[in-house]
Amino acid sequence: MSLVYLDNAATAFPKPEEVYVFMDQFYRTHGVNPGRSGYDLCMETGELVDGTRKELTAFFNGTTADRLIFAYNSTDALNLALFGMLSPGDHAITTTVEHNAVLRPFEHLSRFGGVEIEHVPFDARGFVDPDDIARRFRPNTKVVAVNHGSNVIGTVQPVAEIGRLCRERGIHLVVDSSQTAGKIPIDVQAMNIDVLAFTGHKSLMGPTGIGGLCIQDHVDIRHTRAGGTGVRSAHRLHLDEYPWRLEYGTPNVMGIAGLHAGLGWIQKRGLDRIHEHEMRLMARLVEGLRAIPGVTMYCQDSLDDHIAVLACNVDGFDAGNTGTILDVDHDIACRTGLHCAPRVHEQLGIDRIHGAVRFGIGPFNTDEHIDAAIAGVGEIARAHARVA
Amino acid sequence: MPSIELNGTAYAVDENGFLEDPAIWNDNVATDLATTEGLTALTEEHWRVVRYIREYYLSHDIAPMVRKLCKETDTRLARIFELFPSGPAQGACKVAGLPKPTGCV
Repeated sequence: MSLVYLDNAATAFPKPEEVYVFMDQFYRTHGVNPGRSGYDLCMETGELVDGTRKELTAFFNGTTADRLIFAYNSTDALNLALFGMLSPGDHAITTTVEHNAVLRPFEHLSRFGGVEIEHVPFDARGFVDPDDIARRFRPNTKVVAVNHGSNVIGTVQPVAEIGRLCRERGIHLVVDSSQTAGKIPIDVQAMNIDVLAFTGHKSLMGPTGIGGLCIQDHVDIRHTRAGGTGVRSAHRLHLDEYPWRLEYGTPNVMGIAGLHAGLGWIQKRGLDRIHEHEMRLMARLVEGLRAIPGVTMYCQDSLDDHIAVLACNVDGFDAGNTGTILDVDHDIACRTGLHCAPRVHEQLGIDRIHGAVRFGIGPFNTDEHIDAAIAGVGEIARAHARVA
Repeated sequence: MPSIELNGTAYAVDENGFLEDPAIWNDNVATDLATTEGLTALTEEHWRVVRYIREYYLSHDIAPMVRKLCKETDTRLARIFELFPSGPAQGACKVAGLPKPTGCV
């Protein structure tokens, strides 16, 4: 068997063939700067950009396509949102299940921006209690930022309930959907999400370098950058109108084209079918690893409200070593370490052993891939038991 | 500069126990350094790994990549961890007298 790729939580690989083909063809025929001129090719390229805005707005059930903002990735999108929504003297709440895409902007806002941040822990099963968030509400609380699906333990947080509680107090809910967009349905209106950050290169099946925000009509985000927009060039300041308010310079046309093709592939295959396939493989992986003595999984007792992301360790063995052996001896690609989510590992008490081994399952994985991972971890656990 | 005394000989080492001067390495030094890894004797299998790392280092001034080490010595990585419980970088490279690898091994 060739490389077994189980690092889909880092980026989906491979992409659907349709994505590669469309990007190649589109860039060859439409690789011009959209929205800057009036010639036909420019207009057609602009139609692809705006058409993809509309498709993504519909996909997330957003309110207005102009409020679908393209950015580089989730981190970039979350920086635009958090720095543009908070001011000195504000209070914001987040959780310990977050990725650094949320943690670090908040840390910077705390240290240098006069914003007070609180982190709500997750419970033993890996879920944040919405009431724990609500108990921290203050008159100056402006934003709650929550990870929809964990990139370490795979738990899906009760975003709709958190959003309902935020809405009652006029607090804006920002959701990081890096791991869930394209894996499970997201309806920003039904789930009370005010600002949704997404990335294109994971389960939305696009290339790297494209992501964005889906912003509801009642939310305003300040522009924290400035530059070219392709329209109203004489204006001295950056434009206030969406989408230009939060977009700067020539857009990533190749990325948007790939995202368009990826979204088309997801809709053709069906979100439910993709999730069902991944969770069936996830259950197989959990069952297989559970049968191996000396392997610990984290927050996988039940797979309800989970996505197909699993963290584990061979007891007493450095996670990085396990990952290197899986790579070298078994041709299995996974990710080890702290996964840019250090507070998850701190709360689980595994930061001291360099984190965990993470398997991220994608739509192109098979039973054989999962069985190879189980066999690989089993061999490492048995070998470690002999030495230890 | 820290030093350790092994079998009556003092060695200058860094904070991780790697030799400060790789040039003083020989088979006896390797055997002494192996004791810091809990190894009381080096088998032919140990030596095959140690000599490959040593020769690669002398030729390239860097430790070999793990995948190359396994392929060239025909040894699975899991086995290298059995031979050197600290692993190829912390264990085998130390016994081979290399400075602490910063790269791939």
